[in-house]
Amino acid sequence: MSSARPAQAVATDKPSHLSVIVDLSPSQWHLSSQPPPANTFPLTLNSFLSQLLAFLNSHIASKHENTLAVFGAFPGKSLMLYASTESETINPSAVDANSYPPFKMLDSTIIKRIENELDQLDTEEGIPVALVGALTKALCYINRISHFSAANVSKAKLPDSLTISDPHILILSVSPDLSAEYIPIMNSIFSAQKLRVTIDVCKIYGTETVFLQQAAHLTGGSYISLERRDALLQYLTMAFLSPPSIRKALSVPTQDKIDFRAACFCHKKIIDIGFVCSVCLSIFCQPVPVCSTCRTKFPIKILQRLNASRPPPTPLRNGLSRTTSMSGTGGLPHSGSIRTSSSNGTLR
Amino acid sequence: MPAAVVPDLNTSLPTQHTLIPFLQSQSQNTLTRLYQKPSSCLAIFRLLAPLERQLVMNLLWLESAIPVATMAAWVARDGKKLYDAAVVNLGNLHILPSSMVKLALNSTFKTSFRHAITGGGTSGSFGVPVEKDDKRPALDLGALDSYALERWETILHYMVSSGSGQYPSKPSQGVLYLLQRSGLMANIHGALQITSFGFQFLLNSPHEQLWNLLLQYLHMAEERQMDLVEVLSFLFMLSTMELGREYSTEHLSETQKAMLEDLRDYGLIWQRKPNSRRFNPTRLATTLTSSSPPLPTSTTTSSGPAEGFIILETNYRLYAYTDNPLQTAVLNLFVTLKYRFPNLVVGTITRDSVKKALQSGISSDQIISYLSTHAHPQMRKNNPLLPVTVQDQIRLWELEKNRLKSQEGYLYTAFASQADYELVLNYAKQLNTVLWENTAKRCFFGSLDGHANIRGFIERRTGATG
Repeated sequence: MSSARPAQAVATDKPSHLSVIVDLSPSQWHLSSQPPPANTFPLTLNSFLSQLLAFLNSHIASKHENTLAVFGAFPGKSLMLYASTESETINPSAVDANSYPPFKMLDSTIIKRIENELDQLDTEEGIPVALVGALTKALCYINRISHFSAANVSKAKLPDSLTISDPHILILSVSPDLSAEYIPIMNSIFSAQKLRVTIDVCKIYGTETVFLQQAAHLTGGSYISLERRDALLQYLTMAFLSPPSIRKALSVPTQDKIDFRAACFCHKKIIDIGFVCSVCLSIFCQPVPVCSTCRTKFPIKILQRLNASRPPPTPLRNGLSRTTSMSGTGGLPHSGSIRTSSSNGTLR
Repeated sequence: MPAAVVPDLNTSLPTQHTLIPFLQSQSQNTLTRLYQKPSSCLAIFRLLAPLERQLVMNLLWLESAIPVATMAAWVARDGKKLYDAAVVNLGNLHILPSSMVKLALNSTFKTSFRHAITGGGTSGSFGVPVEKDDKRPALDLGALDSYALERWETILHYMVSSGSGQYPSKPSQGVLYLLQRSGLMANIHGALQITSFGFQFLLNSPHEQLWNLLLQYLHMAEERQMDLVEVLSFLFMLSTMELGREYSTEHLSETQKAMLEDLRDYGLIWQRKPNSRRFNPTRLATTLTSSSPPLPTSTTTSSGPAEGFIILETNYRLYAYTDNPLQTAVLNLFVTLKYRFPNLVVGTITRDSVKKALQSGISSDQIISYLSTHAHPQMRKNNPLLPVTVQDQIRLWELEKNRLKSQEGYLYTAFASQADYELVLNYAKQLNTVLWENTAKRCFFGSLDGHANIRGFIERRTGATG
């Protein structure tokens, strides 16, 4: 009789938690589903959801104790779509013999809630999706369940052996960056770092988002921009299914270049060169006499000097050592001198 | 803390589930038949190691085979060993037919597992649920849990108390036969006595105990001419069922219906009447493929939390907050119990008590791992968890036992000349079988396995000269 062997296997094979944030912006999904002239690989919301559900099921399938939470980012609203630790009130009475009950529950709950939300949506255009709201909810949720298990409450619904290890968040994004959300996103990234949560990002449609790239980079996750959108499920499985603990053994794709640019606090624009308050580190796109965050007053002389040293729209940007570029040394790949013209043009 | 050491990912390969070697020993035909059921695929998938699972998932949605080199490039250099082992393992399970050129999943497995993930198909392998019957309501979760616990503890308690001469409630004949068959208990002087295997078994986690018994059951099923595929797929079906739901027996095969009785005895399922046409899986069954403790925290039989009731002090004193007779009996294996209170048992770990345990075949590591897995939450604040002195002493007591090592062998003596002696001795040394030698007395002691060779050598020598 083999003794004590499975116990060790369990030690290396801990349950993991996955929170998925789904960007459900109707307008972006509409664009994404346009046939070939617009997109090489059109992807409709329906086919996306069916692939997503297969991915979510795979996560649950991997281990009995794996936990899952799904958050939807709708225009102007974020919502928890599913959480495996919440006991479900929607009981699908038609449990059939051909599907694993938890999968069935997961699929029906998510689809039902998304349908409900999309039906209720206002048709009003231009409301950005509440991605940050969803991200914050995901972090709060992870924080809650990890405290829960740490407290070792045996009366609770969770089995008390359940310890949240390797929590990771996967953001499936289709919307472009919202520069107004710079500060809340950065704050979420910092809390994710503190909670040791890995943030993975899969950019399914649309332009690269600077902030999500940074989120993935700073938390040790991976950022993938889909090239072949018809192979979504394969991408998701190979890159994001494995818990961070076994990623050490795999070559999971990581970004080769990261855009480190920040957004200024005054106009919420993504900038290449900014001015930083020496007291509170707020970022501005132009020299300001009074910091709007901490109310520090700067001497007029410094302002003049900074203004004088501001780069003209064309190069000569190497001389500005004092006007701190937030892109820092790490941002070299995208040092941004090419893009300076566009953003500086808007600053004036 | 030997019990808590997490093996390094890069250096050591993760250990397998107990069932995997058994599955690997089965024929490809058997396994392919097993893989026709989506529920079996899902359950087996869960028993695999993390990297193996990832590998299966990577290949699951691919329509065509991919070159071996492409897949190998996906693994970092550090994980190479792990990856190779995973490929071999999956090959042995016939999930991933081994090939030098292309990798693709077994098509049966692929189809069924896709069905499992996406739902659908017509296999009915996740069990056919029945509508609630208002006249005969099913047990609620609490009652189901305590039923399972009671059944399971009956078995364990019977085992642990068999040596002491007092017999609590006896499990059924089927269970007794299985216990005897598996070598956990042996028939000594007409009465079943626990063996040293049995003692080791008691200190394992409930999850391991369950699988060990089921593994024996599977071996027995082979002998009883039961269809192994039916037996396995029924177990796997149980593991994917929903706790607290009633399932119909009508769609089960004859073999599986016969199994219902055995599984009822082990506490894996509950039935109102032996011939009832519906059954409830208990938590023991539904957590088969998970690593969470299968036994619910027993609220009825013990006051403290079921896991974590032991406090061990540096002075070898042990306080166990329990009133569970089984836990007390298990502790009694290696602790000298002093006092019993309604919710507390106090004892000391002594040389004699540990010696007694060692004699019955329990190892010091098992004692230590039992103590650390059942340590009281209060103890978890300590680092290391158990007092080092106590751990070391338990190990030392075990070493005491091992001062003498016996080995069977042959003494070669009465050589005619020193030259003869040295010739034979050199030959034996080349075979690496010499355990002891004494040149002055012209004799040496060789191990058992080298005897045939040495004897042949001597005979050839004497034959050549004489």
